[in-house]
Amino acid sequence: MSGASVYVAIAVALAALFVYLAARRRREPLAIDKARALMGSLDIEAFQNLVDPDEEAFLRLSLPAAQFRTIKRERAWAALAYVRTLSHIALEFSHFGHAARHSPDPRLAELGRQIVSGAVSLRLRALEASGRLFIAATFPDLPQRCPHSLFEQYARSNGLLLRYGTLDRARTRS
Amino acid sequence: MTHWYKFLLLYLWIAPHVLLAVVAVLLLIRRVHTDFPAFFLYAWYEIAECVLLFAIAVTGLNKGAWYVRIFLVTLAVSTALRFGVIQEIFDNVFRETGHLDALARISLRWTTGFLLVVVVLCAIFGSGQTSDNLIAGLAWLGRGAAIIQCGLVVFLFAFSGLFGLSLQSYVFGIALGFGILSSVELANWALRTGELSESMSRALNLLPTGGYHVAVLLWLGYLVAPARKILRPSDVPVGEVDQWNRQLERFLQ
Repeated sequence: MSGASVYVAIAVALAALFVYLAARRRREPLAIDKARALMGSLDIEAFQNLVDPDEEAFLRLSLPAAQFRTIKRERAWAALAYVRTLSHIALEFSHFGHAARHSPDPRLAELGRQIVSGAVSLRLRALEASGRLFIAATFPDLPQRCPHSLFEQYARSNGLLLRYGTLDRARTRS
Repeated sequence: MTHWYKFLLLYLWIAPHVLLAVVAVLLLIRRVHTDFPAFFLYAWYEIAECVLLFAIAVTGLNKGAWYVRIFLVTLAVSTALRFGVIQEIFDNVFRETGHLDALARISLRWTTGFLLVVVVLCAIFGSGQTSDNLIAGLAWLGRGAAIIQCGLVVFLFAFSGLFGLSLQSYVFGIALGFGILSSVELANWALRTGELSESMSRALNLLPTGGYHVAVLLWLGYLVAPARKILRPSDVPVGEVDQWNRQLERFLQ
């Protein structure tokens, strides 16, 4: 295959990718059902327990080293599943925030902007936590830090949605 | 030269620029030009460039060396403006996203740097049978610019998708148009780096103008088409909001 053929093949693949993105965008629904279902499935307390440094310290003291490593790996993988769900929730929050930005009510539109900003921060923190948990699963002997900022951001984003709900309800009733 | 080929060449030269004029007017009417001044400038620049080169061709002055110089200068400015438009899309998409704005700027710089290195490496290690003429030399540069532009558009879609940022319809359309245009230009310039037969060269003349036509149609289509159907806050039934609130209150306890 000559050099030019390789570039032409890349160009065709890229054009196909752009066409696919356009087609997917047309199909993709923007719904809040997904976010709600994901939120319902997320047991935040169980997640907090999995990444609690005190629990980790207790397990380190109570278990033999080999068993501790096995348990730590399993806990890290389980926590990663939770982080992935949080990450998806952040995406749905972001979609919802984008929709709210178009609200004719300026207060709701402003809340929409804040929801988007919060969702982006949540997603960033989820990605950071994923990296840390992956390291924890690979090197279980390393001490683990609790992703406090992830929980704080989740609470903040939820608070914004709560405010949105209250404001929207008041607006609908009036 | 067959009659249909002449007609097609002429159509693909003029029609996209007529449509681009419609795009430019629509940008003005919908006040999108304030958010996208570089794209607005690009549209008018392309129209002016077409008028200039067409006038030269019609008056029969397109045989001299100075025509080639004008062509090269206008092509260079057009390429530079395209980079400006891609930067502008980034600025618009990541504006008001807090920390992500800074991260997007840094990532864009690194991606551009990375793509530049890829282009240089491709030029060094990918040298095959090449022609010595001006067009072949220009093709090396054009191919490099097309690789960078394609890479930046892919990066834009990937990065905005990673954070769930929904691009407004016309922003998506502008980016998509540049993506298609860059990929067509990549194929065009890659084929021109080598020796071409007369018939192949003539057929290839239709590729960039055809790609440009598709891009302009996309810009026009996404500007004219109604905005993407999104869930408006007022569409959320009160019952659903109550369910959300119960979920959130459960969490906050």
